[in-house]
Amino acid sequence: MTGPKAAGDIALVQRRYVYGLLLRLCVNTIGGVGILFLILYFALSRPLPGDYSGVFHALRNLSPFLRPILAISVLLYALLACGSTSALCVYILHKVAGPLYRIELVLDQYRSGTHTRTVSFRNGDQIQPLAHTFNQWIGSLRRDRNRWLATMMDAERHCLQDEATCRAEMEGALRKIAGDMARYR
Amino acid sequence: MKTRILQSRQPRIRYVSPRFQGPAVLAFAAIIAIGGVIFWKLVDSQFQRVFLHTAIRGHYTFDSAYDIVRDLLSWHLAGLFFGVFLAGSVLVLFLVAATRNGIGKAVDSLRASADGDLSTPTGTCPIGEFNRFGEKIDGARSDTLASVEMIRGNAAELAAGGMSPEEFRLRWDELKQQIRTIAP
Repeated sequence: MTGPKAAGDIALVQRRYVYGLLLRLCVNTIGGVGILFLILYFALSRPLPGDYSGVFHALRNLSPFLRPILAISVLLYALLACGSTSALCVYILHKVAGPLYRIELVLDQYRSGTHTRTVSFRNGDQIQPLAHTFNQWIGSLRRDRNRWLATMMDAERHCLQDEATCRAEMEGALRKIAGDMARYR
Repeated sequence: MKTRILQSRQPRIRYVSPRFQGPAVLAFAAIIAIGGVIFWKLVDSQFQRVFLHTAIRGHYTFDSAYDIVRDLLSWHLAGLFFGVFLAGSVLVLFLVAATRNGIGKAVDSLRASADGDLSTPTGTCPIGEFNRFGEKIDGARSDTLASVEMIRGNAAELAAGGMSPEEFRLRWDELKQQIRTIAP
């Protein structure tokens, strides 16, 4: 499989990654709901007294405490679920955020004029075609740059002959380069 | 020793990108919080009603308060699970779609750049991080185009002739230096 075709075939975000994210979210939600169930189970499973008045008063007296019990249990659930989901987001979404951050660094380097190295992502990172197309673009620019420099050096070789030939060759090379650059728009 | 010094100088990989991961974390937290509040409101009102009803009715075949509300609690917990999970799944699918759309356009833009089109805007979706990323790509492309246009203008001017051999040679060397700055 050659370059462009391979880049086209690779999905930006793989299905396996999406399913993995959904599965982890499911497990996380089950865990959160399970913890909420356990808290409420232990809060409500105190045995009721056996006689009529005892049970009546136990149930009537439960009402004022029900709201704080529920509030605390839901708060605990929210804190635990938010904490674990945040950790999940940071860990899983890093497979997209990491490559984006990497490309941004390389773009900043490129714009500042420092040497731009080939970009490659880690195993398991998503948006792989982005690195491939970026490398393709930089590669095509470098090929053009080298061709233009080669054209100029080729013209310089004629300077071993007389001045007029040298100048004519150089001007010809410049016209060729200018024409070649016209493809950039 | 030298290897250790080199390793310590290497930039550390940042595992949190607040601009991208932060809003996603906040959105998931909002779903969980909203689900918890709805659960609390529903369960509170229904439990109050059920306990009052059971106390007045006087049918005490239950060992604990949990036995009275077991079915109700199970249904509400199931509702909470499905509500939070489905809303979370929709958010995940939205994030994936936004990533595919935003990065897909960036990939198309870079592909077009390799064919010489450096001026058509990337046009990523207007979601903060992708929009900013698209602007960065466009910035790099426009810098390249400006540099190529400048070199092209200089080359055309030089090819037109009409200058002394000394000046021509000087500007020829300058042009070579300028070409070397493309994609360093």
